[in-house]
Amino acid sequence: MNPDIEMTEKTTGGGGKYDWFWFLLPALILVVIFFFLPIIITFFISGTNMSTATGFQNWKWIGLKNYQRISSHPETLEHLWLTVKYVAFTLVFFNLGMSLVIALLTTHISRGVGFLFRAVWLLPRITPVVVYVMMWRFIAADAPYGILNQIIIKPLGLKTANWLPMAPFLFIVLVNGFIGASFGMILFSSAIESIPKDLMMASLVDGSSYLQRIRYLIIPHLRWPLLFVTTFQTLSLMTSFEQILVLTDGAYNTEVWALWAYHKALSTYSGNLQWGFGTALAAILVTIGIVMAVIYMRYFKFEELVQEPKIETQ
Amino acid sequence: MKRIFLLLLALMVFPALIFAGGKQEVAKEEGPKEVKIVIRAKGNPTEHWKVDAFDEAVKLLNEELQAEGDNRTVVIEKIFDDASWADVVRSFAMSADAGEAPDIILGGHEHIAVYSTAGYIIPLADSVSEIKKMYPEFDDVIDNLWASCMLHGKVWGVPQDIEARPLYYSIPKLKALGWSNAKIKALPERIKKGEFTLDDMIATAKEAVAKGVVEPGHGYWHRPKRGPDFYQYYFSYGGYFYDPDENKLVIVEDALEKWYAFQRKIVDEGITPENFIGTDWRIWHDTVSHGKALFWNGGSWQWGEWAGIYLKDQGGQEYLFENVGYALQPSGVRGKSGGTLSHPTVYMVTTEKASGRKGRDLAVRLLAKVTTKELNTKHAVESTHIGILKSQANYPPYNKDRFLSDVIYMLDYNYFLPNHVMFSTWEDAVWEGMQAAEIGQRSPQDSTAATIKLLQAELGDALIVK
Repeated sequence: MNPDIEMTEKTTGGGGKYDWFWFLLPALILVVIFFFLPIIITFFISGTNMSTATGFQNWKWIGLKNYQRISSHPETLEHLWLTVKYVAFTLVFFNLGMSLVIALLTTHISRGVGFLFRAVWLLPRITPVVVYVMMWRFIAADAPYGILNQIIIKPLGLKTANWLPMAPFLFIVLVNGFIGASFGMILFSSAIESIPKDLMMASLVDGSSYLQRIRYLIIPHLRWPLLFVTTFQTLSLMTSFEQILVLTDGAYNTEVWALWAYHKALSTYSGNLQWGFGTALAAILVTIGIVMAVIYMRYFKFEELVQEPKIETQ
Repeated sequence: MKRIFLLLLALMVFPALIFAGGKQEVAKEEGPKEVKIVIRAKGNPTEHWKVDAFDEAVKLLNEELQAEGDNRTVVIEKIFDDASWADVVRSFAMSADAGEAPDIILGGHEHIAVYSTAGYIIPLADSVSEIKKMYPEFDDVIDNLWASCMLHGKVWGVPQDIEARPLYYSIPKLKALGWSNAKIKALPERIKKGEFTLDDMIATAKEAVAKGVVEPGHGYWHRPKRGPDFYQYYFSYGGYFYDPDENKLVIVEDALEKWYAFQRKIVDEGITPENFIGTDWRIWHDTVSHGKALFWNGGSWQWGEWAGIYLKDQGGQEYLFENVGYALQPSGVRGKSGGTLSHPTVYMVTTEKASGRKGRDLAVRLLAKVTTKELNTKHAVESTHIGILKSQANYPPYNKDRFLSDVIYMLDYNYFLPNHVMFSTWEDAVWEGMQAAEIGQRSPQDSTAATIKLLQAELGDALIVK
């Protein structure tokens, strides 16, 4: 008998019926405290009128009024549509598109140069958010100060401008996309590297072009990371707002849903933080996130993608 | 339901307490002799006297207590940072709910509405006359400033500083435009009388751009980022914020539309750059302080920043007096006097429950000790804020400061934000509409309609549309 299997039998054979529970308990405690309880509290507060003015002592239960207010709010559709556009554009062009292009390019050049190139693309992710966004602000700043104006626009004799308000949507996509691209880039690169070399070489020997190899060999091997990145980044982008907060603070029509919730619940210029209303906005985001996750899991058939472990169990 | 919520909250907090280790403060039996008072304020580095003045004040208070035979001694702890108002409100509310708030909190006067409604602060007196009788120092406060500390007939705070938001202008640029010295000197008076209006300012700035006196887009610069300064235009066209009889916020449709039209007009006329909102503060300060714009709106406190930071090498205040003039914000209506929005910061005293400490009487008494011409002038001069005391007008260290003496008359033409609990919602909505109008995303008319619709949705019965 294989010694590994023998060991497995010894360690599992003498256990009690609920051993699995004790193994899971530490993780379960963390999940309950940091995932389930915050969601429950979020939904709970969303049913109250809690705000700075009521404090934690004088709030009242108002049922679904916050949700009714959201449904009749003149800006609800505007924020929702912006969020959909922002998530879709950033995801398609950067978190998936750009990251795939970088992964493909850097795995088709010499290993050292490819590694260096990917390392450069990690810089936006490892730079502190405020510093990173301030760099963008100075790229876009008004003439005569902005880097864009000074280095490109002026020498070409074109009209200078304050570029951030000129193309705010483009900037929020770029700022987030340049960070997001590195996530997929790492996963895709490692997935491409793990494709057996004989398959890669054989495809070329059989006469396929590089493009055909990408289309018929590499992409099919990337199904799992592609679907994972799509799912993970959709949910991540829906709730991310910190770059937009620092870049525009929601000005010029860049108030995505998560930023709207933040502003209502945690940041007003002079006073009343509407925790109840803000958490109702957050609760809707949580609900959309859960629904999206379930749709992704079912539609993409994740279970089929995860292979059974190649090990004998009996 | 509240029990379930508290249980959930406790479950959240419980692990934090476990992992927090032995850092928790055990309540000490300190005895009756030492009373700790914690003061929190925010400000830029030149405004450190907002807390540092308490060092001297507490000495005076302890001397008095000793002379009276009172066995209590006050010790203070100061917290001072440069946080945003939103951060201050958030952290203060959390600490007050946890019973760990400072004893004295400095805030914008409009914070009184939220803090008092939540039960975080105590009323200091039932009327202005009552608080003036409490301590002679309070009687010295300029009378109309108490209005900013009132809510529901009670006094909730003590003014700490106040400012004006003047219209600044470049003297050399006006001269280059052909204005005589006498005409330039008379400008503040003409604005005060309503003879020089916002339309005149636009026309002058337009002429300066056309004649090449200033670069295109440099005829008039307003504040580059969000702030209450913009409400001055709304006010200039006859708008106002609040109906005290109804205790409701007010939006005057006609004034709002004229304000939004003004914001778009300055761009259309080429005196303010396209997409100007959001320009970095450093760019703004650098441009206006070096006289590259003809007119601009700023705060009186910025005079000190320009002198001390941006013009330090060119002579500071001397350079400014030679090159920059200041006046009230012009009216939008001919014949109506100019004005200025003042935003007093006020000290408030927290409740025993919010702070977790006793000794409210001493906190109020300490505020009296800090409200003196000697201590307040140190803050006023260093941070170029206007004095809050009647006695400062004749106090040499104050009135020898030319700028502060020059602008003190503006307090006769000032107005305040309302102390209403939902005012921040009013602000959010009008700011959004103003941006949309100025950057041309919506016409001033459409922006006005959208803003009113938004205000009605957000405020409901708490709003009056005029």
